[in-house]
Amino acid sequence: MAGAGGGGCPAGGNDLQWCFSQVKGAIDEDVAEADIISTVEFNYSGDLLATGDKGGRVVIFQREQENKSRPHSRGEYNVYSTFQSHEPEFDYLKSLEIEEKINKIRWLPQQNAAHFLLSTNDDLRINLWHLEITDRSFNIVDIKPANMEELTEVITAAEFHPRQCNVFVYSSSKGTVRLCDMRSSALCDRHSKFFEEPEDPSSRSFFSEIISSISDVKFSHSGRYMMTRDYLSVKVWDLNMESRPVETHQVHEYLRSKLCSLYENDCIFDKFECCWNGSDSAIMTGSYNNFFRMFDRNTRRDVTLEASRENSKPRASLKPRKVCTGGKRKKDEISVDSLDFNKKILHTAWHPAENIIAVAATNNLYIFQDRIN
Amino acid sequence: MVGGLKRKRSDLEEDEKWDWGPAGLRSYQQALLRISLDKVQRSLGPRAPSLRRHVLIQNTLQQLQAALCLAPAPALPPEPLFLGEEDFSLSATIGSILRELETSMDETETPQNPVAPVSPQNEVLPQPDPVFLEALSSQYLGDSGLDDFFLDIDTSTVEKEPALAAPEPPHSLFCAPGSWEWNELDHIMEIILGS
Repeated sequence: MAGAGGGGCPAGGNDLQWCFSQVKGAIDEDVAEADIISTVEFNYSGDLLATGDKGGRVVIFQREQENKSRPHSRGEYNVYSTFQSHEPEFDYLKSLEIEEKINKIRWLPQQNAAHFLLSTNDDLRINLWHLEITDRSFNIVDIKPANMEELTEVITAAEFHPRQCNVFVYSSSKGTVRLCDMRSSALCDRHSKFFEEPEDPSSRSFFSEIISSISDVKFSHSGRYMMTRDYLSVKVWDLNMESRPVETHQVHEYLRSKLCSLYENDCIFDKFECCWNGSDSAIMTGSYNNFFRMFDRNTRRDVTLEASRENSKPRASLKPRKVCTGGKRKKDEISVDSLDFNKKILHTAWHPAENIIAVAATNNLYIFQDRIN
Repeated sequence: MVGGLKRKRSDLEEDEKWDWGPAGLRSYQQALLRISLDKVQRSLGPRAPSLRRHVLIQNTLQQLQAALCLAPAPALPPEPLFLGEEDFSLSATIGSILRELETSMDETETPQNPVAPVSPQNEVLPQPDPVFLEALSSQYLGDSGLDDFFLDIDTSTVEKEPALAAPEPPHSLFCAPGSWEWNELDHIMEIILGS
């Protein structure tokens, strides 16, 4: 396959020069809750890019055809369609307004023989939907205890295996992942595999469980690996080895000494997502201060970049950022205490075939691409 | 960024001195307990935040509770010691927390240092009051205010008099050398001394 995302080319984040391409969204200082982007997803070809926000609005961007008069810029993404997923509802019995937030968007795979979809908006259950039967679903995982006071663990994410349509995984708030095979039993309350890394006793604290809680799980495109995101790191697991991950990448280890404050201001509960590049050679996840991180699995190098309006000149290269963790702060470094914890990048997406990334920064969507050599 | 800790310090008198013996450690644990209880209270109600967050906070509270129960026998040497070498006086903690809660509920002036008046080395360690420990469980918090809870507890045995006992190496999670408190409290010390 042509393009930098294919094999043979270093497709990791560090051999590329990332450049600003586009930014979507308002520049207001005061961001309405409804405008906060809650999901970003490319479709299977990368020609479509979908975002959802907390107000229930879905915006689909479509990539324009390559423009010969501007050969240095890949096709831009422009709005193709916008619709409201659902209107806010009021539950008259409980006097509660029901949130209309879009949790996640999943494009339908082009060649998925199974035609199934998982829904996990509920912390306690996973339901299976057949694409042609929209008025009911089949419950396949249910962890709700008889006595809710005994609840100590919830489901945090779930995903189908990209190639084996009967296999899915779900992660928990205790840092575990269970792999289930729907061929084994109808109700997947017994897992086929159980992934958990043993705790390091020397770093144990009151916050150990909270920071081990998995906020996202994603299979690699190959289906051989999966990646989990917890509060401070991303881990890559080989599906054949349940005892520990094969790779651990620190996202912002300098926050470990700040956990008490992050607990108090609730940032410790932020749910960061992660994503693979098309060839599975690099992974990306967000952080605070509108920083996002890329890790090249081959070279083992990583880079920190920032999504900001200041770096939004067309085709401007993104300069790597660095957080000063102690000692004298160098020029251009930012100290941990200066980080803006209200600017968090929770959602990122990588084009399935090319080095184009979409990064959601609160209510703005940034699109970056690599400079064409 | 250490917003929570800074706010806590600002509640205290300006010229107060932090001591990093058992009192400092207890203050930290009290702060954590206070934060957790506050979160649980705020999370009860119709617009409760996510179930995941609620469960994680509950589990953290239970760990705090378990750690308080596990705190071994008392008697701290008279000299201030390095962090982690001391033991942890459960009764002193309970007494301090109760005093502070009563103070804040009465809306009187915040005490200078919630644990300063206590002489940690001279405390007897009664068994932790089960009613108090149950108060840590959020199940109760929804039913009654904290006020009702702590006023019922007899604190007379806590504010107490001296009995020396041989110092014992700490067993609890708090005091194991190399455990988390070293990192966290080292950091706190840096902030305090540096400012």
